[in-house]
Amino acid sequence: MRTEVWLVIIGMAVVTYLTRAPLLLALARRPLPPRVRLWLRLIPLAVLPALALPMVLVDHGRLTLSLAHPPLWGAIVVVVLASRRVNLLVTVALGVATVAILRAVG
Amino acid sequence: MPRAVRDGFVASLALVPSVFVYGTVFGGLAVQAGLRAIEVWGMSLLVFAGASQFVAVPMLAAGASPLAIVVTTYVVNMRHYLMAATLAPAFRGFSRGWLAVVAHLLNDESFAIAVARHNPPDPWVYIGSAAAICGAFLGGVVVGTQVGGLVADPARWGLDFAFPAVFLALVAVQLRRRADWLVALASAVVAVAIALVLPGNWHIVVAGVAVSGLAALWLAPEIA
Repeated sequence: MRTEVWLVIIGMAVVTYLTRAPLLLALARRPLPPRVRLWLRLIPLAVLPALALPMVLVDHGRLTLSLAHPPLWGAIVVVVLASRRVNLLVTVALGVATVAILRAVG
Repeated sequence: MPRAVRDGFVASLALVPSVFVYGTVFGGLAVQAGLRAIEVWGMSLLVFAGASQFVAVPMLAAGASPLAIVVTTYVVNMRHYLMAATLAPAFRGFSRGWLAVVAHLLNDESFAIAVARHNPPDPWVYIGSAAAICGAFLGGVVVGTQVGGLVADPARWGLDFAFPAVFLALVAVQLRRRADWLVALASAVVAVAIALVLPGNWHIVVAGVAVSGLAALWLAPEIA
């Protein structure tokens, strides 16, 4: 048992749980005003692009908008397929394949 | 209920290979960095937040102070506040005990799948997805600690791209009104700009709160 490693792990576990549980418990059991409901509806529309676009366009702190950047093409494939309501599994598989192929030939 | 659980599970299969492979990579790296298998499993079970674990392991190996590691973990995981707030109304009928368990399973991928499938999100879709993601990650970590990362460089196979691919696909199917497009595009621009200047996951937290908050103040509440 290495106490210090376990202390770090438990500290990480506690602070991570504190990011997950409080709002879930606090907001699950009360009716919310309309403007707060609107805000909660809009959060995914803001969070999902905020997760995705920096993964596609930012590489080690630099903007990569080059056409030779495989994830850019992968992202275009994914957005086109998804907006045509192609199945999620197929969409993601084709996006991943696009990136893998372009990296292999590039 | 069981049908929605299955829907969430099946929808998550697009991510299972990538989550599993990254789990093996994490397990392999952590063992190479000097952690024992039991410590790696304990961390993956108790913290269960891949990105922050990838950040913490090299810090541990380099002998960073425990406080620095814990604070960094907190900052990287602050995005959970947004996801928890968004998912909360879906869990109205659940007991406190259940909520306490469900909260621990919160992850980016299951959040994305639950909010894209139904509005408001279906709690059982989220639980089905969390089961798939959790199983894939923990299974991958166990394999990784025993035999090392299955793939030396997952990016070579495009596996890193599965994560943004799912997030992009799930936002694309939600863009119905013009306001939706504006929120998504503004958030993308703000997030990229912040990611260029700030380390960690600040771009997700700031763009997620600020853009959705401003839009909620500006739009008529009836479109909720």
